[in-house]
Amino acid sequence: MPLSRRALAAASLALVLPLSACGSGDGGGSTDASGKVEGDITFQTWNLRANFTPYFEGLIADFEKKYPGTHVKWVDQPAEGYPDKLSADAAGGTLPDVVNVSPDLVAPLAKAGLAMDLDKAAGAYRSEYLAGAWASHQVPGMSGTYAFPWYLNTGPLFYNKALFTQAGLDPDQPPKTYDELFSDALRMARKSGGEVATLANVPTIEDFGRYGVTLMNKQGTAFAFNDAKGVELLTRYKKLYDARALDPQALTATPESSGKKFLTGAVAMNPGSALDLGNFKKNAPGLYRNIGITDQITSTGHVNMYVMGVMVNARTRHTPAAVAFAHFVTDARNQMSFARKVAIFPSTSGSLNDPYFTKEDGTDETRVRVAAAKSLKSAVNYTPVLFSDQMKTALRNEVAKALQGRESPRQALDNAVDAADRLLRQS
Amino acid sequence: MSVLERVRPERGVTPEREPRVTDQLGRRVRAGELVWRYLLLLVVLALAVGPFLWQLSTSLKGPTEDIYGSPPSFLPGRPTLHNYTRVAGTIPVWDYALNSLKVATASVVTNCVGSALAGYALARLRFRGRRVTTLAFVLAMLVPVEGILIAQFTTMRELGLNNTLIGVVLPGAVGAMNVLLMRNAFRALPYEIEEAAYVDGANAWQRFLRVALPSVRGTVAVVAIFAFMGAWDDFLWPLIVLSDPSRFTLTIGLNYLHGTFADDERLVAAGTVIAVAPLIALFACLQRYFFRGVGEGAVKG
Amino acid sequence: MAAPTAPTRAQHPVPTRIRRQLPTSPWLFAAPGLLVTGAFVLYPFVSTLVNSFTDRRTLLPGHFVGLANFRELLHDDMFWTGLRNSTLYVVGVVPALVVLPLLLALLVQKNIPGITFFRSAFYTPVVASVVVVGLIWVWLLDERGLVNSLLETVGVGRVGFLSDQWLLLLSAMAVTVWKGLGYYMVIYLAALANVPRELHEAAAVDGAGPVRRFFSVTVPAVRSTMVLVAALSSVAAFKVFSEVYLMAGPSGGPAGEDTTLVMLVQRTGTGLTGRVGYASALSVVVFAVTVALMLLVLRADRGEEA
Repeated sequence: MPLSRRALAAASLALVLPLSACGSGDGGGSTDASGKVEGDITFQTWNLRANFTPYFEGLIADFEKKYPGTHVKWVDQPAEGYPDKLSADAAGGTLPDVVNVSPDLVAPLAKAGLAMDLDKAAGAYRSEYLAGAWASHQVPGMSGTYAFPWYLNTGPLFYNKALFTQAGLDPDQPPKTYDELFSDALRMARKSGGEVATLANVPTIEDFGRYGVTLMNKQGTAFAFNDAKGVELLTRYKKLYDARALDPQALTATPESSGKKFLTGAVAMNPGSALDLGNFKKNAPGLYRNIGITDQITSTGHVNMYVMGVMVNARTRHTPAAVAFAHFVTDARNQMSFARKVAIFPSTSGSLNDPYFTKEDGTDETRVRVAAAKSLKSAVNYTPVLFSDQMKTALRNEVAKALQGRESPRQALDNAVDAADRLLRQS
Repeated sequence: MSVLERVRPERGVTPEREPRVTDQLGRRVRAGELVWRYLLLLVVLALAVGPFLWQLSTSLKGPTEDIYGSPPSFLPGRPTLHNYTRVAGTIPVWDYALNSLKVATASVVTNCVGSALAGYALARLRFRGRRVTTLAFVLAMLVPVEGILIAQFTTMRELGLNNTLIGVVLPGAVGAMNVLLMRNAFRALPYEIEEAAYVDGANAWQRFLRVALPSVRGTVAVVAIFAFMGAWDDFLWPLIVLSDPSRFTLTIGLNYLHGTFADDERLVAAGTVIAVAPLIALFACLQRYFFRGVGEGAVKG
Repeated sequence: MAAPTAPTRAQHPVPTRIRRQLPTSPWLFAAPGLLVTGAFVLYPFVSTLVNSFTDRRTLLPGHFVGLANFRELLHDDMFWTGLRNSTLYVVGVVPALVVLPLLLALLVQKNIPGITFFRSAFYTPVVASVVVVGLIWVWLLDERGLVNSLLETVGVGRVGFLSDQWLLLLSAMAVTVWKGLGYYMVIYLAALANVPRELHEAAAVDGAGPVRRFFSVTVPAVRSTMVLVAALSSVAAFKVFSEVYLMAGPSGGPAGEDTTLVMLVQRTGTGLTGRVGYASALSVVVFAVTVALMLLVLRADRGEEA
């Protein structure tokens, strides 16, 4: 224990020297992407190496062939510690030229002047993408768009038909509305004597969004999820928690642990994606035979989607090459070929009309894919761009207090909104 | 506060050819006592090593075997190395292990040399500022590392050493704790030893190299092991300072596994076995010197 | 290492002859260590100190705000939760790490056949990294892991080690103790090697049994080592991060109730939106408390001795 001071730092870092170069302004790149596409650039992805090395090597080779005189170096970072890695690079001025980001990561980088405004540098490409996807990298309070949209993801709700049958529920009539979901969940808990929960996770910000809660005011200056609807959702979750219809371990659950619970039959429903089907088949054949697939439940009619983006470093020395490459990675052809490798969806307009996303072939994989692609056309990324990790933790902890009965749902959400607003003002 | 590091004659070596079981003082140990001692030892052994063996067992279980069963099955029904092949197929384990080895070896060298030198100065050389220097090392030991990583990175970048293995080694190159360890080992040496050399006209370097250092070999072995472990096990600093995947260390590589296959206990288990096995092997090789150092009274200082 | 702040005892008065030497050489000896420590530990920490008076964020330069961060700490519930947990950790872990390794050292001290194997085996948990140890224990204590399936087999039923606030903290403490046993065992072995055997023999002649000899001979003889272990382990326990982080998760268990102070430093200060100024203030508090803890333990030692 005492000798692990370095190792103890397992996921932590905090402080920047006052003299580190950051903020905006001091030289570097321009937003003029019209010059000749040439030079050496670095492209950083997030946890894609383990599965997709050949894809990215091919992609880069194609680009270098198309633009002689360019050279792209690909680096990939592991899942854990990515925000910390970006922070160190941003503070130290060593951010790569083209960076894989998500909307919540791009917001602080844009505010610090490190993400290039693509409305200026690449406005011409805007029409190639789904409008909602393009807008997902805009930051309230700033004009401009700070990353190309890359892949999207969404998925259905999986449920365990065997558990539904045991509880006397019709395995072919999964819940379609929140009312049905909550009453089925309570019934499941009652019938199983509290042994089988229906949900494994506490509500997160996107659950509030899907329930129809207004998350933020129009100007993007304050949060608003403590409205009557928000309180209603949390009150209903509290009822589930008390009846053990929400897994008792939900307060400490991670996406991995709740996935495992679903796999082992301790939980009856779990959100997922087409990717999970293969996992069920391999690791839980018994479950796979009983798997039911239904749509995400929403009050708004819009399912939730996750968006990945590709950002250009505002200080790149090779603006034309960096912009061209970021566009190349996210263009319709390359997104389409990436989508064929893994269960993700392209953000380019028209791609979702490809037969790959519309034609059923009788397999479950295809069915999930086709349904998801259809729902994506109206999907929303509910998580506000400005909702930082610290805010997520604050919300999670307040929600937990409400579920434990230490605070009323109203009080808990008021506190969470206060904390988030305070963090927002400080940014 | 110091336990003396004595240079004592090799007394108390167990007379191994003698058939009777004796303790460290050469006295006979009674049979009854022996039984409960071994019983206790086995209990502690199960507690200390059991978790690692369970991990090893999990890593050898095939995909068809239930790893969640109750009662648990301690031994894999049909042991397979399949999970290890998958690990090697996912990340370039050998390249990463080589990088880790380079970093850890360099760290061992710099720590042994740097902390022996500094420890000697603090223990044996009189100079203005010695107390302040000692205090500096003590305070350095108390600094919460969690708070200074980015500042370390910025410094490294100004030195142009980011994205190099040297940059990985440098912040831990001479650990404050190791310096203090060496200082205490040197302090515990009787002055008479060096005095003889001094009379012979040896200067500080010669006294250090020829007389003092050989007397604290045990502590040097301890520092070596600490340095190796520290460098081998570190995750976040290498992650931050390195950008080029070809220079990644093994701990970063294992993180890929955890990030990509978090729900596959067998694969994660195989990864952790790969991370721990070299350290255990190294320690098994060095343990003789290590515990000899301990026997000399080195560690505690 | 010895409690570095221990009074320099004049056991070995330096002969005057040794004092004369080339004036530059001591600094040359100390230079590598000083340079590394200065550049990569002390200098960064000074900047932490400076930052603690600003409202700096990861990517935005800060302004001087005086003591505002420290005032905010006093009104931050999470700070008090963190202080409570870090203190509980010291209280829970330190006595175990002072006593158990000593007993273990006594157990492996006798040179009976195979003892080198046992000694090395007991050291294994120290060798493995905290992250690996964390992964192993999370898997062991999982709701469907080995410990729970054993408990179920003997009829106790499954226990939510990783979901209850207090059980989580206890489990993390158990892992810390498990991992620290071998380390402190080695320190005690070193001390025991220096206990003159005449003391034991004299006590044995007086008819003292093993228990009485333990209290009348062993404990007094290794008392200074026990103080050292108390100092080292309390500083490390107060700064606990990995064990709790790995077992309770980044948000610190249910409703964040298992958050420790260093976890709070990490949570508030890291990432692209980190509040560097506030986290620096937290770091400074952690540093101050560890210095105080160290002094307290040593003072208690000296007081007893006097």
